[in-house]
Amino acid sequence: MKLCVALLAVLLVTGCAKEQTRYGDARAVETVTNQYGSTDLQMMAESMARSMLQAPVIASSNLPIVTVQEVRNKTSEYIDTRAITDSIRAELQKGGRVRFAVDQAGMNPQVDELKRQQSDLYAKDQRVEMGQMVGAQYRLEGNIISIVKQVKDTKDVYYKLNLQLWNIRNGLLEWSDEKEIRKTTTRG
Amino acid sequence: MNPKLLIAASAMVALVAGCATKKGFEQPGFAFGCPIGDAKVASMDDLVKAKTMAEGRRTTIQATEMRCSKSGDLLRIDANLNNDSKNVKRISYKFRWIDREGMRAWDEEPWKPAMLYENSNLVINTISPTNKAADFRLILRSEE
Repeated sequence: MKLCVALLAVLLVTGCAKEQTRYGDARAVETVTNQYGSTDLQMMAESMARSMLQAPVIASSNLPIVTVQEVRNKTSEYIDTRAITDSIRAELQKGGRVRFAVDQAGMNPQVDELKRQQSDLYAKDQRVEMGQMVGAQYRLEGNIISIVKQVKDTKDVYYKLNLQLWNIRNGLLEWSDEKEIRKTTTRG
Repeated sequence: MNPKLLIAASAMVALVAGCATKKGFEQPGFAFGCPIGDAKVASMDDLVKAKTMAEGRRTTIQATEMRCSKSGDLLRIDANLNNDSKNVKRISYKFRWIDREGMRAWDEEPWKPAMLYENSNLVINTISPTNKAADFRLILRSEE
């Protein structure tokens, strides 16, 4: 009898805990928690890329060559800042306004491939020449900060992304902009 | 100078200045700087109606004004959103970019959340991501 009741209870519990998986809209507003999320990443990247399009050095349509440097994460949480600059780079590259030179993170694989092609395994007339890489004219770097405040039932998070485009030759700041985001979670 | 001639000249200047409204400088196919193609747009309301769409949950937030200008070969847009209710409203919006053939000129943008205080306006602005974008739609949805 006890066994029957236990079995019934197990069946009832597993029956209630029905799991469902569905695809969603990757571009929808996401507010599951107030930690840094996909909507923040998408908004920051789009806002910065559109702002950069209006920078005189890019708007002049001379196809400037940019290298992406670090966006320092000064927030209290883990943020993959590379994802922000990757999205900005993808949008600008797709718009055909900017060319990107290999950055520090991509330098080792680039040099490895260059060196590999110098071996006798490759046809001499088809292997790439050494010394033909093009240096960037501008470097993109920045910071992301956050201010978090929490009282009993309220948590407020403020993010600020600041990006700068520096002229490598003369050290001048050619463009800079900021994107701010505030999210507040209240309980009850 | 003959006073009659002076008055007539002044009247002509006033008439010309009066006629030189913004509309007088518009190129064909544009209204308030925004591309309209062959659509008949006689007022700001017509323009807003032609350029604004709702998707998903409907919102009471209305676009009331829209102005466009060229920034190089890109399109800059300012849209004024109005919340005439007594409550804070939360919406999301995105722009859709259309090329000369009526096809999508760019990937679907992410929805961007916005908050409007009670009885207030919010100006949202953007620039087209590519010079292939010849037209646009502003899409609004409620986030409440």
